Amino acid sequence: MTLALISLLTPLAMALLLLLSRSRSGWWVMGSSLVSLIAALGALHGVIQDGAQWMHLGGWDAPLAIRFRLMPVSALLLVFTALIHLLVSVYAERSRHSQTQRTDYWPLSSLLHASLAALWLSHDLFNWYITLELLGLVAVAMVTISGAKAYVPALRYLLLSLVASLFYLLGVVLLYGHYGVLDLALLADAAKADPTTRLALALMTLGLMLKAAFWPLHLWLPPAHASAPTAVSALLSALVVKGPLFILWLLWSELAPAELGQEAGPVIAVAGVLALIFGGWSALRAPYLKTLVAYSTVAQLGYAMMALGLLLHWQRPELHVALWLFVLAHGLAKVSMFLAAGEMQATLGSKSVGVLKGATQTMPIAMFAFAVAGGSLIGLPPSGGFLAKWVLLRPLLLEPAHWPWAAGVLIGTLMSAGYVFRVVVLSFDRAHPTRPDHRPDLFAQWLALLPALLVWGMALISDPLILWLTGGAP
Amino acid sequence: MTLFYLCIGGGLFVLGLHSLLLRPHWLRAIMAINIMGSGVFMVMVALARRGDTTDPVLHALVVTGLVIAVSATAFALRLASGLLERTKKPEGGA
Repeated sequence: MTLALISLLTPLAMALLLLLSRSRSGWWVMGSSLVSLIAALGALHGVIQDGAQWMHLGGWDAPLAIRFRLMPVSALLLVFTALIHLLVSVYAERSRHSQTQRTDYWPLSSLLHASLAALWLSHDLFNWYITLELLGLVAVAMVTISGAKAYVPALRYLLLSLVASLFYLLGVVLLYGHYGVLDLALLADAAKADPTTRLALALMTLGLMLKAAFWPLHLWLPPAHASAPTAVSALLSALVVKGPLFILWLLWSELAPAELGQEAGPVIAVAGVLALIFGGWSALRAPYLKTLVAYSTVAQLGYAMMALGLLLHWQRPELHVALWLFVLAHGLAKVSMFLAAGEMQATLGSKSVGVLKGATQTMPIAMFAFAVAGGSLIGLPPSGGFLAKWVLLRPLLLEPAHWPWAAGVLIGTLMSAGYVFRVVVLSFDRAHPTRPDHRPDLFAQWLALLPALLVWGMALISDPLILWLTGGAP
Repeated sequence: MTLFYLCIGGGLFVLGLHSLLLRPHWLRAIMAINIMGSGVFMVMVALARRGDTTDPVLHALVVTGLVIAVSATAFALRLASGLLERTKKPEGGA
């Protein structure tokens, strides 16, 4: 637990230090996220050896206590957060096009890292409200780094995020008024399927779905993610939307009585299939490269929703694994895609998708990174995306009654193949390639390729990964 | 009496949401969200008196919530005023 706390406190201390000293140096942030990554790896090792751990903040006892819980999933997410923050920080410092050198990006990204780490560790409804608000405010502030042109999407993002938090808070308050506790484990013992619990869960789910940009509440996401600087888009798509998803998962799999889950499951799963279809369709038609990648986030979240919904409906533990594999694979692939897209649009001089004509010739490494990450989104073996899809599909294929759901996954796969190949085909059109405005930045392109290679490497450690995630399933 | 204040709180929440769904101007949207927030806080304060004694935990939560609401509103107002400056500029003297 100490190591997990170090992983949380290092970025927090760094953010405060940068704010107080008015320094905006990226090297310090890279150092702190490296320390955080090492501590998180240690915490993961510890939790696999000894099982889940609890910590009582301030030494209070239940029911007044605010507790942190370290379980395998949260340890894995700590590692994932620190790793992605480190990768994106290197890009933000080293790339010529990052627009983030010497800006407020550095304290803000550290604060984002800290609030996410606190979210993964919390086990208390009100603590989650605080971390959600922190996450939302920091994310909006990061969108505004790209200047006044991002104010409209940023303000819309902020207002929606505030409304979502209020929905969540109202649900929390109703539950507290009914049961008199805020701790998730205590609530899970007490919860019954009565009207108050139903109403509270509905309000909280609505708020969290709005925050996680689940279809049909996703409309704020593409403009906000696409108008942010590249490094910020990568962090937002890979990490921020996963926070509310984590809370939603714990709410439904631990707190909600099983019969409520069985009722709500199909609704969430159907919304997931629709997210795959409509998100994919919008990505196919998106005029701008970053908008395409942002819509693909909306679509890919559909898989996570499907896994969550079917998990609740059938109560099958292997779907927990599918859900978190999707989150990890999507996060890595999306970092790669956003970094590659940002490099290409900055070097080739336009934001539109058409500018990628002949990109395999002019910017081969960035385009390769985009295609490799796209391969994982489609689910080509042996990538992380394939792994997740395979775990999701196995229970669907076993019984003929479940085949319609498998068809949903298939349509989603076709859609993702569609928007990835739309870009790839264009980049092989080498007859009249778009000339780069200046010499492409090789280091930044290799950096974009790294997470894509990591996501393909996930297949190599699939056995321990699945084992850890199974250990984390409540 | 608790029920009365609960209903008022719920009413404020719905009222704010209704006005937000009408796609108002930024300033009205920010005010609508604040009214929704007041509704939630009212529910919290009302629920604190659900037993014989007052529940201090809910009061502590309301204070935390108020701090968050004030800072978020300040941030939203700053963004909205930045937006206003920006929309004014291209028109010049018009």
